[in-house]
Amino acid sequence: MALPVTTKPAAANRRRRAGRRQEMLWAVVFLAPAVVALAVLRVVPTVGAIVDSLYKAFPGGIIEATFTGLGNYRSLFSDPAFVDTILRTLVFNVIINPLQIAIALMLAVLFIQKIPLAGVWRTLVFVPVTVPIVGSAIAWGAALNPNGPVNALISAVGGDPQPFLTSPSQALACIIVLASWIGIGYWMMFLISGLQAIPEELYDAAKVDRAGPIRTFFSITIPMLKRPLLFVLVADTVANFVLFVPVQLLTQGGPQASTTLLMFDAYRTTYGYGSRNLGAAEVVILTAIMIFFVLLQFRLLREEKTPR
Amino acid sequence: MTVTPAKLAPTGRPPAPAAPVRKKRTPISRVILTAVAVVLGMAFVLPALWILIGSFRPTLEILTTMSPLSWHLIIPSEWTLDNYVRLLLDSGFARALLNSFIVCIASVLFGLIMSSMAAYALAVFQFPGRNLIFAIIVISFMVPFEAIAIPLAQQFTDWGLGNSLIGLILPGIGNGLAIFNLRQYFLGIPDSYREAAMLDGASEPRILFSLYMRLSGPALTNSALLIFIGQWTAFLWPLLIVSDNRQQLAPVALAGTFGEHAADYGQNFAGTIVLTLVPAISMFVLQRFFGRLSIGSGEK
Repeated sequence: MALPVTTKPAAANRRRRAGRRQEMLWAVVFLAPAVVALAVLRVVPTVGAIVDSLYKAFPGGIIEATFTGLGNYRSLFSDPAFVDTILRTLVFNVIINPLQIAIALMLAVLFIQKIPLAGVWRTLVFVPVTVPIVGSAIAWGAALNPNGPVNALISAVGGDPQPFLTSPSQALACIIVLASWIGIGYWMMFLISGLQAIPEELYDAAKVDRAGPIRTFFSITIPMLKRPLLFVLVADTVANFVLFVPVQLLTQGGPQASTTLLMFDAYRTTYGYGSRNLGAAEVVILTAIMIFFVLLQFRLLREEKTPR
Repeated sequence: MTVTPAKLAPTGRPPAPAAPVRKKRTPISRVILTAVAVVLGMAFVLPALWILIGSFRPTLEILTTMSPLSWHLIIPSEWTLDNYVRLLLDSGFARALLNSFIVCIASVLFGLIMSSMAAYALAVFQFPGRNLIFAIIVISFMVPFEAIAIPLAQQFTDWGLGNSLIGLILPGIGNGLAIFNLRQYFLGIPDSYREAAMLDGASEPRILFSLYMRLSGPALTNSALLIFIGQWTAFLWPLLIVSDNRQQLAPVALAGTFGEHAADYGQNFAGTIVLTLVPAISMFVLQRFFGRLSIGSGEK
């Protein structure tokens, strides 16, 4: 501190107080754009959706909307089709997220091994991440065409051609494959950084203790990777709850509603069926689920910076 | 991202006692691991390769080589740029591409300024409620945009922001991860730099824009990439907010050509490749910064 201290302590205090007041002012100025953006882009639509969800109106808006309280929610949850949509969305997420993260973890462990050109093979797995989901959906739609290359491959190894996207029992699985083709490489990169942060000495110690590879994996890799694993699992869940493009482009929720997930249903209720208020109720339900997971994710992020 | 030495050594046999031998791995397991890595890499890249090659061959050939399985699936008998020419000249895709560029660049610019300002205030200034405001900002911007896109689109349309550049840009600038990243990075810059700059008479904006931002290349790159890719791949928002085809962005325009003539795979694939290349190029150029994206692994 090479400050030329010429002022008396009282003056210095006063100046510090003035400085703090000025800091306060700058803090307000600097935070203002973000806070305004937050209010306009997040708070307004959320409050708007909540308010809309409490009213009832006829499509077209000729008659004034009337307050109905939780009526929209009641009619949603008494509709078996909507309950099915919620259950389907939950089952979809219970399957796709652990699946993607488990495969991403296996690939991450594989690609940090000492193998020739590991970086190249890793990049190949990452390539699908760079393809925009619209393009991926179109390409997989073509590939899963009943006369497409996937069926050609199945026939070539002696199997029967499958209906894929046109079958109520297979369409959702196709969406899972498509989304995982993109997601796995993305989450793998996070896990690779996590793996690389594990101190080498732990593995040396395991070797000294003559622990086998499986034992080492479960006793060192998994516990040391707990935070990144939890983080990618929650982040993946958040992303998959609002999966929209493949459903919109390839199946429109069908066949027989087998791919109607909550996000698509909210879109279709609002724009397809013109029920703004019912759609708003669906958005509120979806947002509530999202906020739960984001809070969970934020907790995990916060733990990252706590000093060890 | 550099290749680090293997940490797991599934040797399939008990470790040899002598130290120099211990580091060596049985060649057999290495061969198997390599084979698995190659096969998986190929499996992931094959559909992308099919799109790439399909974009350079006539649509009819894409259809006729789909089945039965043969090498012709990925080896064209005829190369052509026809798909790209038709895509860019006839379909209005070129204009959509330009719109996308304008929206992305403007979003990155405004997004970085807004995020840096917020991050600076939250990293440098001490004021009551700082952590609470930080938490609120980051959490709200982390709720996936799609969840509230529908009510926001209705709101924007009511405000007359439908079919407008501002309407397209605004939702992309608020990014919780960008603010989080930048704040973490700013926290790592020693306070003494700021004190020195203040003694030289620098104002707070000056300190932010010519000191902090200049020192934060990697964090800015990351945040720029997050905002850019978020906007570049956005589909639902432009679908909801734009009804005028001339204002449309590239992903929705591409989906539009898919709907209109479902069999024109050549053009669809060419559009996919164009949409892929732009962020892919920026990503590979910036790849050495990409490792820093991984907040989930902050064990460093």
